[in-house]
Amino acid sequence: MLKCTINGVALEVKPGTTIIEAMNNNAQRIAHYCWHPGLSVAGVCRLCMVEIQGNPRVQIACNTMVTEGMVINNTSDKVKDAVKWGLDFHLINHPLDCPVCDQAGECGLQDQYMEYGQYDSEMAEKKQKKHKVVDLGPTVVLDSERCILCSRCVRFTDEVSKTNELGIFNRGDHAEIGTHAGKPLDNKYSLNTVDICPVGALTSKDFRFKQRVWYLKDSETVCNGCSTGCNVKVYFNKEGLFRVKPIYNAEVNGHWMCDEGRDTYKFVNLGARLTKAYQFVSGTWIENYAGAAAKVAGANLKSAKAEEIGLVLTGQHTVEEYESIVSTFVNTFKTKNIFHWVNNKESFESFDGILLRGDKNPNTKGLLQVLEKHGINASWSQLEEGLKSKKIKHLVVAGPENTFVYPDLEQKMQLFLTAENLVVLTAAKTPALEAYKGSNKITAIPLKTYIEKDGTFINFQGRAQKFKKATTVVSEALTLSDAATLMAGQDLQLHVASPREVLVAEHIRADQVHLESRTKNEFVFNRGRL
Amino acid sequence: MSVVKQKDESKEWYLIGITTGLIITMKHLLVNLFNKKKMITLNYPEEKYEYSPRFKGNHVLTVKKDGSIRCTACMLCATNCPAECITIKASEHPDAQVEKYPISYEIDMLRCVFCGFCEEACPVDAVRLGPEWQTPGLNGSNFTYDINHLAYRPALKGGVASIVDDQDRHKAGI
Ligand code: SF4
Ligand code: SF4
Ligand code: SF4
Ligand code: SF4
Ligand code: FES
Repeated sequence: MLKCTINGVALEVKPGTTIIEAMNNNAQRIAHYCWHPGLSVAGVCRLCMVEIQGNPRVQIACNTMVTEGMVINNTSDKVKDAVKWGLDFHLINHPLDCPVCDQAGECGLQDQYMEYGQYDSEMAEKKQKKHKVVDLGPTVVLDSERCILCSRCVRFTDEVSKTNELGIFNRGDHAEIGTHAGKPLDNKYSLNTVDICPVGALTSKDFRFKQRVWYLKDSETVCNGCSTGCNVKVYFNKEGLFRVKPIYNAEVNGHWMCDEGRDTYKFVNLGARLTKAYQFVSGTWIENYAGAAAKVAGANLKSAKAEEIGLVLTGQHTVEEYESIVSTFVNTFKTKNIFHWVNNKESFESFDGILLRGDKNPNTKGLLQVLEKHGINASWSQLEEGLKSKKIKHLVVAGPENTFVYPDLEQKMQLFLTAENLVVLTAAKTPALEAYKGSNKITAIPLKTYIEKDGTFINFQGRAQKFKKATTVVSEALTLSDAATLMAGQDLQLHVASPREVLVAEHIRADQVHLESRTKNEFVFNRGRL
Repeated sequence: MSVVKQKDESKEWYLIGITTGLIITMKHLLVNLFNKKKMITLNYPEEKYEYSPRFKGNHVLTVKKDGSIRCTACMLCATNCPAECITIKASEHPDAQVEKYPISYEIDMLRCVFCGFCEEACPVDAVRLGPEWQTPGLNGSNFTYDINHLAYRPALKGGVASIVDDQDRHKAGI
């Protein structure tokens, strides 16, 4: 270990650590654009200036290793001045499009200008015009004028996605990011370039102009796009969800996530959701409350014979929910006819070498563990046979929420619809059900999606990842556990928080009056009668 | 509540007060009768009061030289608005130099407090509070003004152009 002092704080770092890494790992602020912890060092933005004792000039922190006894600071006036005028060079040809720029509000240039810049530009020359709104590929739009040529995006396609689409073309103030002729930026990780672009040069076609970023709240969760279980942040407001971005987890996804995973907010938004429970009785659909519909469905199941009941589960729900619904079926309905619906058998085991896995369910491992725990080993062919021979008459299906990754949805629904009494628990609208014109009984009950509940996903490594509820989109929807409780004939226990819980201890003022002690009119009590 | 009555000698002589009041009233009556120019009230609606040109009345969205809307849908006005009454939907503009424009811009006038913060926030002089202040309407929905009304209502005669000119700005390379 090497000893060094950064901004007066004594630190010990591993040999081979750069100054910027040491600062980053120890919560020290330093301006930077081109350095990214997941990419190689380029040293082109010249913003990460530090002063090292014994060196006459300031130096860049991203390409300087820490050596024994180094005394470093980046708060001196000399450093601040260097950063300030470095920033002026970056802004010479920058259009300052902030009003129309999607990055405004989370832009590196804005941040650093407010922290170090605050100068009046000394440039009298005209700004260099470059290409605007360049269509780089199916997901990304480039604005060359805003680009500060940090080369992060180029290094990303070179080192991480290994697709090498992007490059820097021309020289000097004509230099521009671009793609090689006839090769669009089209890979499964392309939107990471938008995340790492410190300015608004690369913008996502999907998110472009939908919202200003300061209207969005964020919350951390686990992506439900595939069994890798990348750690992500979802951005939402009262109108719904707008985007998904990765957060760092060295063991699971590093700094990145795939483009498919970024679409996993789409099925959560209101337009794609089942918002009410519906019952199909004698040829018409009747609207009902979700809880009431679940109770009716449960009562029907209770009066049925145990071997006539079946349950179909997908790998899209949380471990807690599986535990609850499986134990309800095993203990209350006394059936072990629980089937695992696998969406894409052929490519289930595939892996693209970076993050994407063929198993498009976040929690297949969790489901298998719960099934194993309850000693369930029913096979899919048993279900098909049971439905054909009318042995299984009452079928409960906990359908997928991400229906985009279930190409067999329609076909499987037709299979399930042969059951006399079908209960579909689903978050998504299901056209196959709406089109049904038969005589069987159907109940559709809305479920919550992964954004709207607490829970655990177990990813392909067997790593259990807990996540918390971010927001509510469909207020009436149930979790699978709620549905299981209601079907078993019990009532939901709604947790009503007491004021003491809400006012967490550290937020309570010493003189705070609690509601209980207010049952008497404190004012009268203290002062005596008026 | 307890009220303390002040015993003041002069208050006892209320007749003086009443007479003073009557004299003032009569003076105005006579002045108005014989010298109409000095009258301070107006025969509304035939006559209208001339407000200062800086009066903050109904909003106007300004237009460019070609008559298209100036607003770039940056939403700074909506962000700054304390009444949260501005709703904007942005979209991609076919011209790459313009890039972004509002496909819908609505102000709920019944929530607006006419503070003018939107006008102050706008970086491109696209929204202004105009001098118009008489806005009768039959029901609440008449008071949600859209682009058509804000920029092109008949009273604006084809739109108000801003003095800041984009083309000149582009030519100067700013
Ligand atoms: S990149 Fe940043 S500074 Fe440049 S226009 Fe966009 S928000 Fe403004
Ligand atoms: S497009 Fe963004 S990430 Fe790429 S070089 Fe320019 S500023 Fe850097
Ligand atoms: S005048 Fe004030 S309240 Fe009215 S729209 Fe503008 S910012 Fe909002
Ligand atoms: S009126 Fe001005 S502040 Fe409001 S969105 Fe348009 S350009 Fe932005
Ligand atoms: S971060 Fe060090 S030069 Fe860019």
